[in-house]
Amino acid sequence: MSDQSCVYIKKEWDIVAARQMGRDIATQVGFKTVDQARIATAISELARNIYLYAGAGKICFEAIETVQKKGITIKATDEGPGISDLAQVMEDGYSTSGGLGAGLPGVKRLMDEFDIISKSGEGTTIESTKWLR
Amino acid sequence: MEKILKDVVLDNSDEIVRMWIEQVKKNQGGAFYQSLSDEALENTNREFANAIFEGIQKGKIAKTPLDEFAEKLINLGWPLTYLTDGMQVFRRSVVKFIIHKWEDLDFSEADNYFELGDDYFPWVLEKVDEWVDPLVNELVSEYSGSWENIVSLQRMALQELSAPLIPVMDNITIMPLIGTIDTERAKMVMESLLDGVIKHNAEVVLIDITGVPVVDTMVAHHIIQAAEAVRLIGSRCILVGIRPEIAQTIVNLGIDLGKFPTKSSLRKGFQTALELTNREIVEDTNREEEIENLIESLDRSEEE
Amino acid sequence: MRIPILKLHNYLLISIQTELDDKTAIQFQEDLLEKIHSSGATGVVIDLTSVDIVDSFIAKVLGDVVTMSDLMGAKVVLTGIQPAVAVTLIDLGIHLQDVPTALDLEQGLIKLRQELEE
Repeated sequence: MSDQSCVYIKKEWDIVAARQMGRDIATQVGFKTVDQARIATAISELARNIYLYAGAGKICFEAIETVQKKGITIKATDEGPGISDLAQVMEDGYSTSGGLGAGLPGVKRLMDEFDIISKSGEGTTIESTKWLR
Repeated sequence: MEKILKDVVLDNSDEIVRMWIEQVKKNQGGAFYQSLSDEALENTNREFANAIFEGIQKGKIAKTPLDEFAEKLINLGWPLTYLTDGMQVFRRSVVKFIIHKWEDLDFSEADNYFELGDDYFPWVLEKVDEWVDPLVNELVSEYSGSWENIVSLQRMALQELSAPLIPVMDNITIMPLIGTIDTERAKMVMESLLDGVIKHNAEVVLIDITGVPVVDTMVAHHIIQAAEAVRLIGSRCILVGIRPEIAQTIVNLGIDLGKFPTKSSLRKGFQTALELTNREIVEDTNREEEIENLIESLDRSEEE
Repeated sequence: MRIPILKLHNYLLISIQTELDDKTAIQFQEDLLEKIHSSGATGVVIDLTSVDIVDSFIAKVLGDVVTMSDLMGAKVVLTGIQPAVAVTLIDLGIHLQDVPTALDLEQGLIKLRQELEE
């Protein structure tokens, strides 16, 4: 966990701050425009979820490098109410907020790896990685 | 390599080569070797042995005979194991031979001297290793380097082939797709398609899939996504080159391509594209009339 | 932060030049509907050339604006959506099916005229 930087999500503008930071890091890792937009959009979705459902939380970024590949990992953590039915939120079109319901399944499609851990009443952690092609 | 060992090896090269070939043959039972004639294998083995000994004789120079031999084998598609096996057997043969000849060696001018009963075995092993290892390393790096080179060249060529965009006319661009489409390539196609639309200010893009051998759900899905993205940036897509068998698979798989226009051939698609951009092909009839007039005047002159 | 809305004959022209956050987007929605109401405009072009991120929320706001304007009798065309934005929208599963699009402002105005003539 060397190259980690975090943005705390408390107000609406923090969503913009988070995706700007994520885009900067993605640029440094070497992602091209389209993937930068994918990553920034995914961050936007995750940050908005924190803001809407948990009220507060943080988003951390990490540039990762293994023997074969480079990439960026986004980790979104909150201590909100948690998600009671994980299968349901991963369905396209499911929304409790009147949005498009494209959020979490959308993030999964925008990124390469996606992991979600959530306990009712304890909060949610989502970790998602995009690899450099 | 100690001079004394080198001399004994070189002086008895015939004997060592014989041992080596005998041993190497035992290892050459795989499918690849069975496809070769005995003669070809025999000749290559001899060439290999000669290359090794020439290499030893000449010592370190930029382009050793062994390098040339390895390059030749790579071009012919021989497996790397042939070379590494061969070198291992060579190492064993040399060690075996030296130990066999130990009693006859003359150490009077050598730096090292061994008393009777001394354990000389590790020393011989070390010296032979010092000598064979660089050769093996060189061979392997030559071999893998040449493969990496080929692979990276092919990858580049493939990328260049991947997604060409041809602006045939103001506002009309054609993208011919050739070959199999996988997820990786589909992403590249989509990106270069969108960039091209912006760059050429294309109102209509024709995607020609005549050269795509198989259209399964995955390929269709990618094409539909590309077409939808093209619509989002403000242009339109026409899918052309749908062969009968592809139309059949598309329907049998239950793929819905109804959202954007499709045409069987590039020609028909191009006509639709012209219509969409408010243009049409006008036949130039003047020339025909001219020719008819000419023929008529010829007829008349004959009558006169 | 408010997004300026320009009036040209019967059309409204909007070029979004700033990073869209949720408040600005909602504010823009209200401003535009108000302007359509007060000006009686029949056509709207929203140019997104300088927008490099559209997430599901912004996409929903934009899609809603188009439908709402339609209800008020004004056709909306979105222009200049960047390739990267289009790709992310497709990945998100947002197709904006009923929203007319055009390559740039000029094409957008032509498209509006066509749509209004029909």
